[in-house]
Amino acid sequence: MSAGGPAARLRLPCAAACLAALAGCATFSDTIQSTERSLAQQQPKAALAEYQKLKPNAADRVLYLMNTGMLERMAGDYDASTRTLESAKGQIEQLRALSLREQALSITVNDATKAFTGEDYERVMVNNFLALNYLERGQLDAARVEALQVDVLLREKRQRTSKGNPYQEDAFARYLTGIIYEDEGEWSDAMISYRQAYEAYNRQLKAFGVAMPETLKHDLIRLADRMGIADEAKRYREEFKIDQTPSEAELLERGEVVFIVNAGLAPLKREKAVTAPNPATGRIVRVAVPEYRPRTHPFAYALLSADSASARTSRVENVEAIAIKTLDSELPGITARAIARAIAKDSLAGAAASSGNNSNSSGAALLGLAVNLAGVFTERADTRSWFTLPGEIHLARLALPPGEYKLKIELHGKDERVLDSNEIKIALRKGEKKYLSRYWIPTNLEVRP
Amino acid sequence: MRGHRWLRVGFALLALATVSACSTKVERLDESQAVDLSGAWNDTDSRLVSQEMIQDSLSRAWLQEFRGRAGQSRPAVIVGEVRNMSHEHINTQTFTLEMERALINSGKVDFVANKSERQGIRDERKDQDLNAREDTRNAMGRELGADFMLSGTINTIVDPNGDTQVRFYQVNMTLISLADNRKVWVGQKDIRKLVTRSKLRF
Repeated sequence: MSAGGPAARLRLPCAAACLAALAGCATFSDTIQSTERSLAQQQPKAALAEYQKLKPNAADRVLYLMNTGMLERMAGDYDASTRTLESAKGQIEQLRALSLREQALSITVNDATKAFTGEDYERVMVNNFLALNYLERGQLDAARVEALQVDVLLREKRQRTSKGNPYQEDAFARYLTGIIYEDEGEWSDAMISYRQAYEAYNRQLKAFGVAMPETLKHDLIRLADRMGIADEAKRYREEFKIDQTPSEAELLERGEVVFIVNAGLAPLKREKAVTAPNPATGRIVRVAVPEYRPRTHPFAYALLSADSASARTSRVENVEAIAIKTLDSELPGITARAIARAIAKDSLAGAAASSGNNSNSSGAALLGLAVNLAGVFTERADTRSWFTLPGEIHLARLALPPGEYKLKIELHGKDERVLDSNEIKIALRKGEKKYLSRYWIPTNLEVRP
Repeated sequence: MRGHRWLRVGFALLALATVSACSTKVERLDESQAVDLSGAWNDTDSRLVSQEMIQDSLSRAWLQEFRGRAGQSRPAVIVGEVRNMSHEHINTQTFTLEMERALINSGKVDFVANKSERQGIRDERKDQDLNAREDTRNAMGRELGADFMLSGTINTIVDPNGDTQVRFYQVNMTLISLADNRKVWVGQKDIRKLVTRSKLRF
């Protein structure tokens, strides 16, 4: 099926022009560079301003809200962040239903035309960060609402997801839920959540490389003791090799700081594309799929100290690994769709090219070329992801007698170097829990080669 | 045949272009009309709860018993906290305020200002002490102490299965005597909803 002369002469320069133009056509991940730059310069307010300059189309609305909400958190505006993330959550709910129009577009144009509703882990993260927003603002009951919602979300997810996806549970969400219940004094619910977190950490160790957090080990023993489940408490003591841990009654005599470090940024999706002429037809065929590029960051742990007491953070969630493993499990489907799309677009171009009779064959060839080019231009990978999520989340709990403290926070790198340190003043009442969080973003945000 | 091909090309180009347009439409609704959009807690639920609670609380024995006591006419009630223990962010003020209004207007119950309102009033009184005319000045230390405190909780149970959810709301309101911690009235309203999410959208 070879086409006539004029079209053949046109094809080469057009193909060259097409490839040149493709480089200029931006995917989502290309549009956020200035935001990233501001984040690397430790200026979250400027990053927020940069990001808000983007005008998202309707399909990217949820993603825009997620990123805006996170940047508002980084800039310290928790109330605005709560409003934005709640609105993202509402829109995700509305977009749950299947849209035939978007399905058709994703088969004929590209995957990025589908409304972004986030991966499962991103939806869970909306609840997690809303809960943290409420906790840091001292609204425990509102945080409890998020804890209940995350439970419904994870239960629904379990009914849906296939065995192949390693992200079946969110260990950090379960752990945070347990902390919220314990703060509310709902011991049995706290015990159940800590147990769920324990199981999730054990199951996910291989896939995401997050070991059981030190604090959770103590929490499990304390709650099992409080509930009077002696054999379970004994089992945890033996498993974790912990003899002594403060009891719930002792903990309630003191105040507690729950400190969270959001380290680094989640990996960014990039486009991986193959553009080549089809030797059989002479038309250009393009297949584009997303891939994650992990980012390096040297953060290892944070040390929290006040007077003589100190606590070290443990990693509670590896967002980077979850994101990469999630995409891995979806890639076969994404690739199959991309290939089906390439075939459909190619046969459309072929149909257009042979639509003319002898009198207007050059016109038809031109039309065929136009359809071919349109098909190639629009073949872009869906590189949308919640890039302002932290790459890793670390947590520490530090119990202190009631009083006023200067809390010293030291962030350590993987080579034991101190990356950053600061002091904050806090006042703790008896039985009070204070939730603090901070972001640490490296000045060098380059992705791993 | 040729015509069909052109048609196909036309469709292809149409598919490549996405167009969506919407305009805002506003329709006024009657207050008592139930409109359920998402299945979440809404004004209808709030109204149903407050109606039930008001009727129940005014018809129970605690009111007669209090008025039967020597030297008492109307009980003074203060609104405490209605805790939201549900899985939704619910503004509990809508029905506590509604209850307060209905109970005051019944003429059988007095309400005193709650914790957050009181501070503003005390500041105003302090200001009067300095700036108001002698005969219009309201003295401090003459506040009406409450006899009962109204508090409550909202609880939910959600049972999700695919696109269908059963949501069960239970609202409990309690009136506790401040003199002796006695619970004089407990009101309860259950609401059960079956929410089926649509499978298709535009």
